[in-house]
Amino acid sequence: MNIVIAMPEIFLLSTICLILLLDVFLREDCRMITYLLTQVALLATALLAYGAMDGEKTTGLNGMYVRDDLAGVLKISILLLTFVVFVYARKYLKDRTIWVSEFFLLGLFAVLGMLVMVSANHLLVVYLGLELLALSMYALVAFNRDDGRSSEAAMKYFVLGAIASGLLLYGISILYGLSGKLEFAEVLTYVSSQNVLENIPLLFALVFIVAGIAFKFGAVPFHMWVPDVYQGAPTAVTMFLGSVPKVAALAMLLRVLAESMGAAQPGWAQLLLVFGLLSVFLGNLIAIAQFNLKRMLAYSTIAHMGFILLGALTGTTEGYSAALFYTITYAMMAAGGFAILILLGREGFEAETLDDLKGLNERNPWYAFIMMVFLFSMAGIPPTVGFYAKLSIIQAVMQAGYLWPAVFMVVMSVIGAYYYLRAIKMIYFDKPEQTAPIQAELDFNILISVNGVLMVLLGLFPSALMGVCSAAMVASRL
Amino acid sequence: MDVSTINLPLAVLLPFVGAAVVAWAAHFHRVAAAWLAGITTLLALGVLYPALIAVFAGETLIQSWVWMPAIGLDFAFRLDGLGALFALMILVIGLLVILYARYYLSAKDSMGRFFAYMLTFMGSMLGVVLSENLLQLMVFWELTSLSSFMLISYWQHREDARQGARMALAITGGGGLALLAGILLLGQMVGSYNLSDVLLAGEQIRAHALYLPTLVLIAIGVFTKSAQFPFHFWLPNAMSAPTPVSAYLHSATMVKAGIFLLARFFPVLAGTPEWSWLIGTVGMITLLVGAFVALFQHDLKGLLAYSTISHLGLITLLFGLGTELAAVAALFHIINHATFKASLFMVAGIIDHETGTRDMRRINGLLKYMPHTAVLAMIAAAAMAGVPLLNGFLSKEMFFDQAVVASGESLWGQAIPVMATLAGVFSVAYSLRFIHDVFFNGEPVNLPKMPHEPPPFMRIPVDVLVVLCIAVGMLPMFTVAPLLAVAVQGTLQGVPPEYSLAIWHGFNEPLLMSFIALVGGIAVYAVRKPLFAWYESRVRGQQLRHLYDWKIDKLLQVARGVTRGFDRGSLQDMLFWVLGFTLLMGTAGFLSSAAPLLGERVLLPLDAVSLAVGATLILASLLSVVLHRERLIALVVLGAVGLVVSLAFVKFSAPDLALTQLSVEIVTIVLLMLALYFLPQYTPRTSAVWRKWRDGILAGLLGLGAAVLALAVMTRETATLADYFVTQSVPGGGGANVVNVILVDFRGFDTMGEIAVLALAGLGIFALLQQIKLYAPAEDSSGRAWALEANPFILQTFSRVLFPLMLMVAVFVFLRGHNLPGGGFIAGLIAALAIVLQNLANGIGWTAQRIRSDMHSWLAAGLLVAAGTGMVAMALGYPFLTSAHTHVHWPVVGDFELASAMFFDMGVFLVVVGATVMILVELGKLNRLDAPTPVLQGEV
Repeated sequence: MNIVIAMPEIFLLSTICLILLLDVFLREDCRMITYLLTQVALLATALLAYGAMDGEKTTGLNGMYVRDDLAGVLKISILLLTFVVFVYARKYLKDRTIWVSEFFLLGLFAVLGMLVMVSANHLLVVYLGLELLALSMYALVAFNRDDGRSSEAAMKYFVLGAIASGLLLYGISILYGLSGKLEFAEVLTYVSSQNVLENIPLLFALVFIVAGIAFKFGAVPFHMWVPDVYQGAPTAVTMFLGSVPKVAALAMLLRVLAESMGAAQPGWAQLLLVFGLLSVFLGNLIAIAQFNLKRMLAYSTIAHMGFILLGALTGTTEGYSAALFYTITYAMMAAGGFAILILLGREGFEAETLDDLKGLNERNPWYAFIMMVFLFSMAGIPPTVGFYAKLSIIQAVMQAGYLWPAVFMVVMSVIGAYYYLRAIKMIYFDKPEQTAPIQAELDFNILISVNGVLMVLLGLFPSALMGVCSAAMVASRL
Repeated sequence: MDVSTINLPLAVLLPFVGAAVVAWAAHFHRVAAAWLAGITTLLALGVLYPALIAVFAGETLIQSWVWMPAIGLDFAFRLDGLGALFALMILVIGLLVILYARYYLSAKDSMGRFFAYMLTFMGSMLGVVLSENLLQLMVFWELTSLSSFMLISYWQHREDARQGARMALAITGGGGLALLAGILLLGQMVGSYNLSDVLLAGEQIRAHALYLPTLVLIAIGVFTKSAQFPFHFWLPNAMSAPTPVSAYLHSATMVKAGIFLLARFFPVLAGTPEWSWLIGTVGMITLLVGAFVALFQHDLKGLLAYSTISHLGLITLLFGLGTELAAVAALFHIINHATFKASLFMVAGIIDHETGTRDMRRINGLLKYMPHTAVLAMIAAAAMAGVPLLNGFLSKEMFFDQAVVASGESLWGQAIPVMATLAGVFSVAYSLRFIHDVFFNGEPVNLPKMPHEPPPFMRIPVDVLVVLCIAVGMLPMFTVAPLLAVAVQGTLQGVPPEYSLAIWHGFNEPLLMSFIALVGGIAVYAVRKPLFAWYESRVRGQQLRHLYDWKIDKLLQVARGVTRGFDRGSLQDMLFWVLGFTLLMGTAGFLSSAAPLLGERVLLPLDAVSLAVGATLILASLLSVVLHRERLIALVVLGAVGLVVSLAFVKFSAPDLALTQLSVEIVTIVLLMLALYFLPQYTPRTSAVWRKWRDGILAGLLGLGAAVLALAVMTRETATLADYFVTQSVPGGGGANVVNVILVDFRGFDTMGEIAVLALAGLGIFALLQQIKLYAPAEDSSGRAWALEANPFILQTFSRVLFPLMLMVAVFVFLRGHNLPGGGFIAGLIAALAIVLQNLANGIGWTAQRIRSDMHSWLAAGLLVAAGTGMVAMALGYPFLTSAHTHVHWPVVGDFELASAMFFDMGVFLVVVGATVMILVELGKLNRLDAPTPVLQGEV
């Protein structure tokens, strides 16, 4: 059975149950304890995940579960990012008297789901993790129950998510019907023995599975939920949703497509190419017309996800590592960007239109600077890390022989830069419309500063993180 | 570490560090910022000095460190002749501009910010010209765009400054990305991003299939940065920057970065017809357009801006000619243009500073107010016009010479000298205008300030530059020759051609062209009045800037249009796209594959019963869709669908499934009925007709797709798992009913989880319903009151008789479950139905008196029993839920198999009964016919 390889997940699950029980008996004014325990649990799990990184690839639990360095890197990213996001979220929740423990508990369950996805070695285990994540997310989006938009967003998310899960499951079951296998290595053996383009059921299975994954990414044309959910959900939830699960989505792509269906790469690469190019195109184009900042970021996310898909479709180690690098750094900048939105809001006021950014420089130059760094990074302007992320993807895409897609990506980045620059212009050149002071507690300030500075530092010295990413790929034989 | 091994990166880094220091120091003392900026520049020069010595001795310095091997990024610097030329220009003119700016900026302007931006820009420019790695060059390239954006928008309160800065950033930043694409292609071809490798691979690159796209992309980068037609319009708009910025950016640095790149890639990309056509044509157009438009600018800086464009076009054209001598001329003109144009910008700044305006229609006759400045300006302008004995003359002669050489090659070539002369004519005309309009031409008109000479330190930089103009013009061999020689060597990466810097070449064609230009220029200037009028009425307004604005507007429009199309927030639309695209992908994959649709499996023969069942199923499904607005009827039809499905199970010999389906169907229908009670009787019509058709067609196609897919899968031979369970059922699980054995034994853990979920769902629904108060409608949609007689007599009577019978059936089904169709799950449903039936027939109150409806204990007991069974196995040393079985001989019943799994099944039974009854009865309780009658106030 080798249950040890699931140690981080088992630990996290036990801790969640403990916190859940404890929380029932806590008084209203002691929510801080739940919060602190949550954060400690995340860090401790990250430590466990780090301790489990030994360069080996070990499978266990009857071959359903795997522990390797790739899983380690992904898990640590997920856990640390969640930690950061929760620190930011605390301010949001406290400001609005929705300081309840459900947010953190649902968040923890979502994290557990992500960890399971990351370590899955079996199609059903992936699905299990995915559903745990998705269900927690549906609830989180509807977290602010009395807000009509929030509920509507959750409803749409749920219906579309259910369809997408259905597609994925449909694909998995066809695959299972064909091969009788669900474990990655065995599925790979089967797929390798087939000519994918000549096997109609397998082709269908592939289509459905890719559709399910694309939905998770929010890639065009499965992106419909993204803007509405980003806009409708409370900003703290949007921040969580817009950052951490992207890492899990990439994990799913790497595990399901690269690992278990690597032999079918010519098949799924075509699909991902279409999705990726469409996402980069539509995401950037539609973002220009958005004046709601959350919606704009939603469309920018779609464009970014297009980049990740394009990186991953190459099927090369360089492509996978570039996609991983992009995802992790993107999650960092997205979390930071939304954190600034949280800063700008207050009780009874959500900062979400471009106008709310106006004159940020006059209100607080340091936050303005950090926001500019985040926006530059998203636009991919050197020396921020976004530039290297984009560059390494484009590089990998070109090396894989997709010349024109690479040029197209560069061109779309130009168009994309427009709306980020517009936001920066408002931060620096316009008169503020709000005058309320912007303030946050020490932990928030420290983290947002570190987050912002990291964007530049990683941009100047990207090789450390890049090294980790490619080493993880090599260790996982991707 | 020896400084001479790291002096290149150090020189690049110094300005950046200086920028931080300056910004910080400005908090304490305004002027300290200026001094520190100057010192930083001097330091950078000092650090670079030993390297320059080496370069002048003929070396090429390369200093590199491994930085990001994954994407081929070394931290690498290179200094050769070309780099040295540009580095010197950047630093020396930078130093002069800093001195100038110190006196130019008014007390209101923040010195710290200005010099910090300035140094950042200087560092970025140095980075561009000193980079060995092309990607690193790219980084600095974009940094120059960014820092120039900051500089141009330095006066942030001014709308035109922000506009101009944004346009400059959009054009140059965008062009930078095109350049990035070009460089990536270049790296792809060569396999390395190091300049040393790229410069050696000229042959290979020019022969490569990707040569043309690479050339075009790099050219776009160059043209945008160096303000070449049709991207030139940002430069005049950037004139809203403070004049020191213009003097620095638009004479020696920013706009020369593109030229630098042309020179850098000259040995790699030049020498093909494509190169000559693209670069040469654009250069020629720019040269003419710039010179022509410059004449008509009334703004002093606008004139200089267009003249800059024109001169940049000249340099580009020279590179475009592609010969080595032309490259020499280009490099020479780069130096000369930098000196005279920087001094002219500074003069313009002085005039602006001292008179308060730059409008040449108002500033006239300044000679007597500022004679010293006037002399400087006249010399510099004469250099710009190409008057002999000044530096501009020399390079212009070389240009004319090359134009004549190029003319011999084709018919089109004949036009080159003609157009070059024409440009020369306009060049002389606008230079003349600069001199005559400003310093002569009567008295000043309505000036905001009384003009006088500027502070001496403000003039010193101009002095220095003008002296350079004269020195180079008169004694080229003793001044500029060595610098030009190394620059030529660095550019061509080989033996420089023979060229002469002599002032006098005898009477030849270039001299004739110069003469024509001078005379023609004076003539054009003489007829300027009617020309201006013609220009005002015809040409002005038709500028490319409007095209840019229009394009930006258009982009926004397109974006909004696409948004309207794709982002409407309608869930139905979203579903349409998601499902439609999936269908599309499936169809595409299906059509592109040559494999047959059907597999080789033999189909079962078709019999009448199956056909009838199938037809009923389809009909019932269709009916449920058609009738879905009448909810009750739709529900009844849905029930029929369920029944037909259970019949299908019977047909395929799956009695267990049929039984389960049957009981689940009934429970579900009851559940739906209970909910329906609170809902409107009819579903309202909300969809438009076209939408219905669209959705209907999509649904039909999807159904068809699913059917095709099912056909494809089911007609293929696949491995089946069933055999394993069939053979292992009796020996392994002790039961002949495979389904039940799977449920309670092979997949016991699953079932355990499922019943836990079921129990939780029951509890959850219970908890949710506790606080809800729903009042049933008193009448139906047509106004008839609901009958109060809720419980028909016949049903009451029969249900009471049925109750013990149903329980008996449940026990029977449960007991035989392990070997024959049945089991805990079905038995649980039947028992639950028995209880629910009593509730339905006799009313909740009546039933509650006789049967406890609080099912919490049932759920708990069920879970405990199931878990306990598993625990016992563990206690005996087996894994959780290991089953054991034995045969018991009972007196009446006969041989009876007793398996531990039966206890587990018992747990399942209890949970199913508990949860089902709990959910249904609690839902039923909501239905309060005894709705509270309104209490009149004061009655209580």
